[in-house]
Amino acid sequence: MSMNRRTFLGTTAATTALMGTPMILKAQASEYVLGASLPLTGPFATAGQLVAPAFALATKLFNDEGGIAGTPIRFVTEDSGYVPQNTLANYQRALASEGANMIGYFADSTGAMKLIAPELKGENARIMGSTSFASELADPATHPYQYMSGPSYQSQFDILLQNIKNEGGSKVAFIFSNTEFGRDPIEHGKATAERLGLEVVLEESTKPQGADIPTHVTKLAQSGADHCILHGYVTGVWPQLIGGARQFGLPTKFMGTFWGMEKLIADRVTKEAGPFLSGYEGVMPYRYFWDREDAPRYQQYAELSKVMFAGTPLENYMSTWAIQTMCGLEIAMKSFRDTAEAGKELTADNVAETLSGISDWDTGGFFGGNVSMVNNAIGTGRVYAYDAESGLFNPKSDWLSV
Amino acid sequence: MINANLKNSYAADERVLNNTYKQMFVYGMMIVLALFTFFANDYMILIASQMGILLIAVVGINILTGYTGLVSLGHGAFVAIGAYSVTIFANLAEGIIPAGVMPFFAMPFAVALAALIGVLVGLPSLRVKGLYLAVATLAANFIVIFLIEEDLFQPWTGGMVGLTTHAPNFFGWVLDTKREMFGMIAVIGFLALLAAQNLIRTRIGRAFIAIRDRDYSAEILGISLLRYKLTSFALSAAYCGLAGALLAYFFARILPEQFELTLSLNLVAALIIGGMGRSMGPVFGVIIVVLVPELIKVLFSSAVGGSASAAQFRAPLQEIAFGLLLVLFLLKEPLGINQIVDRILRAANRWPFARG
Repeated sequence: MSMNRRTFLGTTAATTALMGTPMILKAQASEYVLGASLPLTGPFATAGQLVAPAFALATKLFNDEGGIAGTPIRFVTEDSGYVPQNTLANYQRALASEGANMIGYFADSTGAMKLIAPELKGENARIMGSTSFASELADPATHPYQYMSGPSYQSQFDILLQNIKNEGGSKVAFIFSNTEFGRDPIEHGKATAERLGLEVVLEESTKPQGADIPTHVTKLAQSGADHCILHGYVTGVWPQLIGGARQFGLPTKFMGTFWGMEKLIADRVTKEAGPFLSGYEGVMPYRYFWDREDAPRYQQYAELSKVMFAGTPLENYMSTWAIQTMCGLEIAMKSFRDTAEAGKELTADNVAETLSGISDWDTGGFFGGNVSMVNNAIGTGRVYAYDAESGLFNPKSDWLSV
Repeated sequence: MINANLKNSYAADERVLNNTYKQMFVYGMMIVLALFTFFANDYMILIASQMGILLIAVVGINILTGYTGLVSLGHGAFVAIGAYSVTIFANLAEGIIPAGVMPFFAMPFAVALAALIGVLVGLPSLRVKGLYLAVATLAANFIVIFLIEEDLFQPWTGGMVGLTTHAPNFFGWVLDTKREMFGMIAVIGFLALLAAQNLIRTRIGRAFIAIRDRDYSAEILGISLLRYKLTSFALSAAYCGLAGALLAYFFARILPEQFELTLSLNLVAALIIGGMGRSMGPVFGVIIVVLVPELIKVLFSSAVGGSASAAQFRAPLQEIAFGLLLVLFLLKEPLGINQIVDRILRAANRWPFARG
């Protein structure tokens, strides 16, 4: 058969169509899958169980809004027991069962983020958020696909130390859990304190659970610190330390970071042991859930929560931990949607590029104003103080950026 | 009547795989493993590699507990020593030893160091036995983790933050995918199992068994308890050190919390479930301890769905299901899965003349 212009064009068109078909099929996924690991059992099960309902809310909310460019999303969630290897296995299992439809993952610890990071390459790369604010992850050069939905622990320390300086404090104590989480910002905190002219009079590490309170309190008393930053705790130790210090008659002012700023915990402590947490301050990247007058996104969550969680404590309140997860999911969704709108395929590289370019974004009230991703993190937060009488954390500072 | 067991030479009697069913089983498994390396997906490779690493450590525990009768609850420490020393060695020797031959130095160093510390930890075994020894070895786990986390050693161990590990490099071939790593783990795991099986047939192995069965009788027979108990500790620690070295190569990051008491208990649990003092015991034990929880997860998630609200309820149930399964196995067969498999193989061997 001789090849004339018409057959040549025809053949070329047919070949192109044939070669292009798998691409089109891939692009037209019937649904997108987002995977997640949560500590539903193990030491942080309380947090995991409180965060889990947020995923149901997110599914409903995002799909009602049209998913990602009209394609619905679905979450695949698994328990990790707070063991990083389990999260890695969960990630691989989701990847094997969902394949290219899975476009993102939500991990539940710093350790898991670090274990999974080297796996994120080529076809196995996915955009990944987590519960972690570990400073090491805020580096697009080494962790291009991983992001943080707030300021790193180091930035949180910077905010607190600046606040101490502004209040006229001079001697600071750092008490932290003897975990990777607890130790993360300590060296950086010391450097910042030195720069600000604050003296670090005590660095004390404790067990993450069941710490020897009287010993730590005695050391704090001996150090003569006027401010003490507590870091690396979730449900326990920090309230007991403050209680111990108050019993001892110490006037030290206590401050905490994100994971120690949950109202549910502070309220429970107040109910069981009295109002000694009053005046406890800490840095929180987001608005609390009750402060939703200027937060249209929170108002949407509240409406949905009323219907979806009717009859449970979650009906009227979303924990700080769930807010953090929601913020992480919002960042991912914005990146997916913007990438899809730009007509690009939702590959990890394309989405990561969109994500790192997010700037001047109106989050709908999570933060004080519009925010930008810098080094795959959002460096803003605010200092709040707990009032045992009203059971609320009230803002003590304006929104601070680092 | 026993079929296919005619032995007409001492060599035939001494063979490890002394009947056709065992041969078929082992050679079949080798082929399956080889095919698995090429065709399994990344998830299966990950789980299989974790099993391989744990297997090597459990084979070590088997030498100590199964064959020599010494109980240890601190062998997670040796896995930690293997993992940390292989990484620290590579960090310190960087630039001195070429990268392409580093594993040939780093791995033997890690194994030797674990064995040496194993001897130290084994010293109490000369004075105490049974539960008392278990408690004495428990300390090893805590001391090693404490030292790793200690600020003094932080420049080398990374302290609480852990260490980023290296991918092994054999003459320029960097095993930077999990699949390549699995190939290595499978080969080393197979050799480790074979070496342990052969060890038990030597003078040393028979001495171990004599000590297990009655230590003072063994001493009267002329077996030096000092020498053989410490040898047993050194060998089992070396196996755990090897497992640790592979673990460090396999995972991108090692953290002290990976090697805590849970690991030591898992090693002993895997051995008890699989069958103590049996070559294949560790294999079956590791299958139960690593694979079954994964299967339970897959099963439960396909039954009730993968949504977070479903996961919230099934997560504790999965743990309970696994716990119940362990209880059931131990009630049904206290001597371990190995015993069940033995019965099946024996039945196959004698069929059709007898069953079991």
